[in-house]
Amino acid sequence: MRRALVSGLLVIAMLAFGIGVYQVAGHFKAGHPHVQRPTQTGGPVLPGTVYVVQGGAIYGYQKGRFSQLTSESGWMQPASDPSGGRLVAVRKQGDVSDLYLLARNGVISAQVTHNSSSTAELNHWAFYPRFSADGSQLFYDYDPKDWYNPYRVDLSIFASPVDPASTKAVQWTRPNQYTGGDVSPVPLRGGGLIYTKFSIDDKSKVHSQIWLQQRPGSVGAALTDPEADCIQPTLSADEHLLAMVCSSGQPLGGQISVTAFYPATASLGQPAVVARGQLLASPAFSPDGRTVAYLAPATPGGGFQLWTIPALESTAPAPKQITTNLDLDATSAPVWVEPAL
Amino acid sequence: MIATGFILAGLLGLGAYFLPVVQAAKSSGTAFAIPTLDPKQASVAPFTVLLLGSDDDSKFPPDRLNTQSMILVRVDPGSRQATMLSIPRDLWVPIPNQGYGKISWAYQLGGAPGAVAAVESNFKVHIDDYVWIGLNGLVKLVDKLGGVNVVVTNPVMDDFYPSDLAAGGDPYGYYRVAVLPGAVHLDGVHALQYVRSRHGDLRGDFARSERQQQVLLGIKAETSRLNVADLPALAGAFNGEVKTSMGLGRIRQLMGMAGDFDGPGINRIVLVPPYTSEGYVGGQSVVLPDWSTIRPLVHQSFP
Repeated sequence: MRRALVSGLLVIAMLAFGIGVYQVAGHFKAGHPHVQRPTQTGGPVLPGTVYVVQGGAIYGYQKGRFSQLTSESGWMQPASDPSGGRLVAVRKQGDVSDLYLLARNGVISAQVTHNSSSTAELNHWAFYPRFSADGSQLFYDYDPKDWYNPYRVDLSIFASPVDPASTKAVQWTRPNQYTGGDVSPVPLRGGGLIYTKFSIDDKSKVHSQIWLQQRPGSVGAALTDPEADCIQPTLSADEHLLAMVCSSGQPLGGQISVTAFYPATASLGQPAVVARGQLLASPAFSPDGRTVAYLAPATPGGGFQLWTIPALESTAPAPKQITTNLDLDATSAPVWVEPAL
Repeated sequence: MIATGFILAGLLGLGAYFLPVVQAAKSSGTAFAIPTLDPKQASVAPFTVLLLGSDDDSKFPPDRLNTQSMILVRVDPGSRQATMLSIPRDLWVPIPNQGYGKISWAYQLGGAPGAVAAVESNFKVHIDDYVWIGLNGLVKLVDKLGGVNVVVTNPVMDDFYPSDLAAGGDPYGYYRVAVLPGAVHLDGVHALQYVRSRHGDLRGDFARSERQQQVLLGIKAETSRLNVADLPALAGAFNGEVKTSMGLGRIRQLMGMAGDFDGPGINRIVLVPPYTSEGYVGGQSVVLPDWSTIRPLVHQSFP
């Protein structure tokens, strides 16, 4: 009897050991990083409010905490008006995206564009909205149809009055064909426009350049070399500094450069590299122009986090990681505004 | 006796953990084998793998698949160098025992061995192993890895992207795709859109080849975090969507050294003009090879 009991206990112990080995083997899994909702996390305090996007929702980051401003329903690419009192953002749903005006707390005040169609290819996109410096106009990307070449979809930059009742839209840029188009408009106080233009050289290589255009339809001029492959320009509030991401053709790397911007001569100063050595995206200046916020993974292959770095230090500054375990939308640049009055 | 019992129980636990790998191996005909899990030193000899990607949606019978993507990869563990060569799917070549045709047909006519033979005979290279992946396989792989990071060089816009993977959807239907430029983190569906879209780019299939190489680099970066204990979860997700001739030992070796290769150590080749030119044969659009320029280029990287 006792022998049977011992044998039974041994069998149970062996089974438990086998299950334990199974469990322990699972603990060696690296798996992938756990992604949290922004509202479940916190971080260091930054002055003002920073708007970011994750999972189709816009979040505001204030005093080290996130608050969710919209539902998770395709929201992306928010931008603030010059006063910081309202936002414009893209809502992308299936085959279409539209621009909406929102209050600072995320409540929708108006739908600006109406791009939907019941026929898939007749829908339109709207991306990268930005207010003009006086807040009266919206610059944004839109895909005009080429009725002779239905496969051609190149984004162009348009501008229209902020008033949702207005239907007057002006096409500013003419993209190089079959490149995907011109993106990332940054309207200037003096009336011009900075954006990213793409081209394909005779060796089939894609290049991106920061471009400056003074008027709708004018030719414009390149501010950067094709080989530098620069995208995602952003200006400080006083328009003295320009930050951008340049990759020089590297498939998995890049750097954020900050440079003086001279609108009168349509030129840039000597760029200073403030961040490098990893995937970098969507820089944006703080309201005082002294800091650059940007998005980058904290680990190779991980989701994008919010980082900041001084914009003006002469020695290579250390980036400061603001968030952890998030998966921020890297095509939605952080929007950093002054504290609400 | 008691010790033996515990050892057996431990092996059973280990066997149960790696069961999905064995099941995946059985369903794909791979050379996966648990005994190769021993910790012996991995070989540093260079090896060449042919990566094959097929549209395996409901438009195509499972035994009549072409390859939409062919990438020849040479890995040199000793020098930590790797080369990726994308082969245009419409490349007009002699297919062994079949006559002339697009190189993408070789898989349909002779399976993976047929595709390997077509590449070996035309490019004069030796291929050690192949990996085949279907559309859903890529989606599952990327999702299992937690997404993939890439730098999108220019907007990828496609108003006629096939909606053939939607459950119960029209295999001939389509929807719109917009992948915006810059560094991004893509999930499986968006990674597939990125590598599969081809309508809105001046470079057509060549652009797609370049994007496929980018996503491979991104996958490499993701797998550098993983180890052999992650294999069951990966294998369990594929369900026949991945087939390979690679043994578990080589897979483990690849996973182990994925982090050793970085951007400068990886040479990427796309056979754009003047290596190839566009043409028509029998009324269909094809890509014509210039072997006098291709073979010396290939010989440099795939000796």
